[in-house]
Amino acid sequence: MTTKDQDYAKKIVTYLDRGTAELKAGTAYRLQLGRQEALARLADPKRAAELRLAGAHAGGGSGTTGTDRRFWASGRLWIGIALIAAAGFGFQQWQAYQQLKDIEETDAAILSSDLPIDAYLDRGFQNWLKHAVDE
Amino acid sequence: MGFAHRTDLLLASYQEISAFLAEVERRAFKQAMFAVRDEHSALDVVQDAMLKLTEKYSEKPAAELPMLFQRILQNTIHDHFRRQKVRSTWTTLLSALGKGDEKDDDFDPLETLAAKSDSNANADPAQLLEQAQIMAIIEQALARLPARQREAFLLRYWEELDVAETAAAMGCSEGSVKTHCSRAVHALALTLKAKGVTL
Repeated sequence: MTTKDQDYAKKIVTYLDRGTAELKAGTAYRLQLGRQEALARLADPKRAAELRLAGAHAGGGSGTTGTDRRFWASGRLWIGIALIAAAGFGFQQWQAYQQLKDIEETDAAILSSDLPIDAYLDRGFQNWLKHAVDE
Repeated sequence: MGFAHRTDLLLASYQEISAFLAEVERRAFKQAMFAVRDEHSALDVVQDAMLKLTEKYSEKPAAELPMLFQRILQNTIHDHFRRQKVRSTWTTLLSALGKGDEKDDDFDPLETLAAKSDSNANADPAQLLEQAQIMAIIEQALARLPARQREAFLLRYWEELDVAETAAAMGCSEGSVKTHCSRAVHALALTLKAKGVTL
């Protein structure tokens, strides 16, 4: 990069600076809102200082920081996800239990029936039953 | 005494970050605009970058903030393009089902007003117009630069990072930064000359 290039770049930058000074009011306002939101994520200085100091008094710990709070905030999200997963698992178990119960009832009905089990598998017997019902 | 000392340290850090963001936000927005070319996306990118800085790097020394923020901003812009690529794939697939012309419901009358600027209050209107036109040409020329050249130029000259910091923010070598900067300046000079602009 020559000095000439650098001078030229500086001239361009002067215009860019003017451009930023003339941002639309709405844009500048949204940027300000974004900044405020970002700063709100920082720990409140006084509160953080108190907590940090309390943590130091309690045994040399670093105290509760914004990072800790964010951890607990994300912890709530994970608890929610875990509850939904547990509910899904519970529903699946309940369905499996119901299915098992149905099979047990069918088995009990077959076993307690007067007919031998082979009769249910005998196609001839099924045809006979069908004809008997039709007649 | 100890409490006061600690509070002062923390407050200073908070104030430094606040002042830093206030100082850098407009330039960051313009940088994002040159890259993504959409105001809403650019605002989102800057807000994301500011959030990441305060969430993850608030305990860094103030001197490191400019370089860190620029690195975060560049990464956020790259993330935006990655997400846009994925989204555009789905949009292409579903475009047949969507409507073509939708009016912008988010029209904000505030957007049409220029922010108050105390610098041009008594300037000559013809001169203001000329400057505005040059500004527009420069911004267009910057937006048309290859992304890496634009990044290098803006970080090096607008954000006033040194070569090493620019290289760290861009994740490349110092030699690459110098090459990108040189090419960017020459490309800008050519474009402006072609448009009849002399600086």
